[in-house]
Amino acid sequence: MFKVNLKHIIFTCGIFVFNPILLFSQNNFKLKYKKSDVYAGIEVGSKGVKMSLVEVSKNMQKNVEFNILKDTSVNTDFISFTEQTFKETLNGFTGLFNIAVNDYRISSGKIFTVISSGVKVQAEKINKTNWINKLVDSFRTRINEPGRMVEIIDVLQEARLSHLGIVPESRRFNTFLIDIGSGNTKGGYFPGGNTNDFKLFQLSWGTKSTANAVEKRLEDDQTMYNFSKQLYRVLAGSANDEIVYAVNLSGAYNMSDNIAFSGGIAWSVATLISPELLENPVIPVTYDEVEKFYDRIYRNYSSLSETEIVKLLNDPALNNASIAREVKRVNKVFDQQSLLAGTGLLLKIMRQFEGIYEKKQFYLVKNGQVGWISAYVDQTISKSGQTVSN
Amino acid sequence: MRETRSSLLLIVSLLLFLMSFVILCTWGYNEYYRTKDSKIQAKVLKGDSTAIAKAARDAAIATRDSLQKIFFTTLQNLDKRFDSTLNFADSLQIPLNQRLSEFFKLKTEISNILANRNNDADLGLARQKISELQKKVNELLGRNNEVEQENKRLYAMLKQLSAEKSPVETARSVAFENKVVNQVENKPSPEKSAITENSFQAYDLRLSAIMVTDNKELETYQAIQTDKFVGSFIVKNSKAVNNVAELFIVISQPDGQVLQKSTWESGTFETLNGRKVYSCKLRFDYTKGEPKKLLFNISSEKFVKGNYIMQVYYNGSLIGKIYKTLS
Repeated sequence: MFKVNLKHIIFTCGIFVFNPILLFSQNNFKLKYKKSDVYAGIEVGSKGVKMSLVEVSKNMQKNVEFNILKDTSVNTDFISFTEQTFKETLNGFTGLFNIAVNDYRISSGKIFTVISSGVKVQAEKINKTNWINKLVDSFRTRINEPGRMVEIIDVLQEARLSHLGIVPESRRFNTFLIDIGSGNTKGGYFPGGNTNDFKLFQLSWGTKSTANAVEKRLEDDQTMYNFSKQLYRVLAGSANDEIVYAVNLSGAYNMSDNIAFSGGIAWSVATLISPELLENPVIPVTYDEVEKFYDRIYRNYSSLSETEIVKLLNDPALNNASIAREVKRVNKVFDQQSLLAGTGLLLKIMRQFEGIYEKKQFYLVKNGQVGWISAYVDQTISKSGQTVSN
Repeated sequence: MRETRSSLLLIVSLLLFLMSFVILCTWGYNEYYRTKDSKIQAKVLKGDSTAIAKAARDAAIATRDSLQKIFFTTLQNLDKRFDSTLNFADSLQIPLNQRLSEFFKLKTEISNILANRNNDADLGLARQKISELQKKVNELLGRNNEVEQENKRLYAMLKQLSAEKSPVETARSVAFENKVVNQVENKPSPEKSAITENSFQAYDLRLSAIMVTDNKELETYQAIQTDKFVGSFIVKNSKAVNNVAELFIVISQPDGQVLQKSTWESGTFETLNGRKVYSCKLRFDYTKGEPKKLLFNISSEKFVKGNYIMQVYYNGSLIGKIYKTLS
C-alpha cells in the first residue's frame, strides 16, 4: 500500500517537474496570439529548400492570422538536376523535416511539404519531371512515411496563395501583388471580388536575370558607370516592352489602389530605406523614395553599410545592433551591382503605376517568401477540418 | 355658659379672619414677586438674544473674511503661474480650456456667495466650493509643472542634437528648435512668416483614449481600459494652392517608441531633423483658406501608463503637438 502511494507521489512530482520543461521545449517560441497552433511548411524551390514555422491564430471571431516564427533555408540549386544537387536537396529536405519534428517538436501532421512552381516549370522545360518524383519518393522513404503528401504547386496556385498569405483581408481586393524573384517576376490580383478568380501576372525578368543581361553588355568596361549605363539600356529595351505589355494586359492599373512588391529585392530595399522599421514585415514607400534610393546605390553606396546606416539613426528607442545585423545580411546577399539591377527593375515596374493624377500606394513586403506557405497551411488545415476550430 | 359659647365663636371668627389675612398676604406677595421676576426675565432675555445675534454675526463675518482670505490666496497662488499655464493653450487647449472654464464658473459662484452679506446660510456651500476650487487650482498647477518639465527635457534633447551637428545644420536645427519651443509655448515665431507661407497650421488638437464596451465608445483616462486613441485637429492654410495634401501623425509612447496603426499604414518620412517613423498618414483634399477638421484613430492591443505625445507634421515640419497622459 505504501509502495503504491510512494509510486503515485513520485509520478505526480515527476509530471509537475518535467511537464514545464517538455512544454518549454515544444513551444520555444515567442508566440503572438493567445490561442494558436504552430505549423511548419517545407518548400523545395529552384535554388534551395526553405522551412517556415508559422503560428496560426485560433480565434474564430477574427480572420485567420499568421505570425512567422522562424524562416530558414538550405541552398541546394535543385534545378541544375545533377546527382550532387539532387543529393544536397534530399539531405536539406529530410534534414529540415527532422529539425521540425525533433528540435521544434512539431507533429508530422502539422508539417506541410511542397515542391514550388519554379522547380516544376524548369523540370517540364527540360524533361526532368522524373527527378521531382524521384526526390519525393526518396524523401518519403527517408522519413519513413510512405503516404506523406508532397504537393507540386503550379505558378497560378503559388501566386494566389502568396496574395492570400501576404495581403490582409481589408486590402485583398484592391491590392496588386508582384513577386520579383531572381529569375522571373510573378503576381496578380483578385479582379472579381472573390478569392477564386485570380488574374495572373508574369514577367521573364527577375533581379538576377536583369543583372546577367547587363553583365553581358559590359565587355571590358567593368565600372559602375558602365554598369548603370547598360542597365538603363536593358531596362529601356526588351524588358521595358515586356513590362508595359504585361501591366497593360493585367488591367491592374484600373483595378488596384495598392501595389505591393515581394521577393528578395523588396526585402533589401525596404530594410535599407527604412531600417527603423526592422520589425515591420511591410514598408510603405513612394516612387520618389525608391528613385532617390537608386541614386544613392549608384553615387553613395558606402552610405548603405551597416555602420553608416546606424550612424543616421537618432532614435534611442531603436535596437541599433539588430538593425546593423540585418543591414549586413542584406549587403551579403546583394552587392552593389545586383542591388542596382534589382532596384532598377523595381522602379521600372513602379513607373507603370505612377500616374500624374492617380497615385498608387506602393508597399515593399519583406517576408513574402513565407506568404504562400502560410496560406497553404491555412488552406490545407481548413480543408482537412482540423483548423483553427480545434 | 352663654359667655363660654360666645367666646368660642369669637375665637373661631378671629382664627378665620387671621387665615384669610394670611392667604391674602401670600397671594399678594406671590403676585408681586411674579410680576417683578417676569419683568427682570424679560429684561435679561432681551439682553441675551442681542448678544447672541451679535456674536453670530461676528462669527459669520470672521468666516466670510477667512473664506475670502482663502479664496484670494488660492487665486493669488494661481495667478503666479496663471499666465504661463495659459500660454500652453496651443498644445493643451482642450483640456486646459475645459478646466479653466470650470475654474472661472466656480470662482464666480464663490464671489457671488461671499458678496451676498444677507445670506449667511450659504457660507457652508462657499467653503465647499472653495475647497473644490483649491483642488482645481492644484490640478492646473500640477499639469503646468508636467508640461514645463517636458519642455525642459525636449529643449535639452534638441540642444544636445544640435550640438552634434555641422554648423550649417546647426543653424537650421536652431531655427527648427525655436519653432518647436514657440509652438509649445504659443509664442509668436520669429520665422513664422516663412513657415506659414507654405505650411498648414494645426489647431484645436485633441487626443482621446477610448474604451469600447457593449458597442459603445466611452472616453477614459486609464491605460488598462483604453482600446484605441481617437485624434482630431483642424488645419488651415491660406496660401496653399487647392490640392491634395498629406500630413503625418506621430504618436510617441511613454517608452519613446512610436505607436503604429498597422504595418500597412505606418512607415517613415523625412523631417527637418532626419527620418522619423509615423503612426499614420492622412491624405485629404484641401481648398485654400478653408479650416479642415481631420480625424484618425489608432488601436493597439496594449496601452501603457504614462505620457503620450501626438505630433502633426507637414512637409517635414512640426505644425502641432499635444500631450496625453494615461494613468
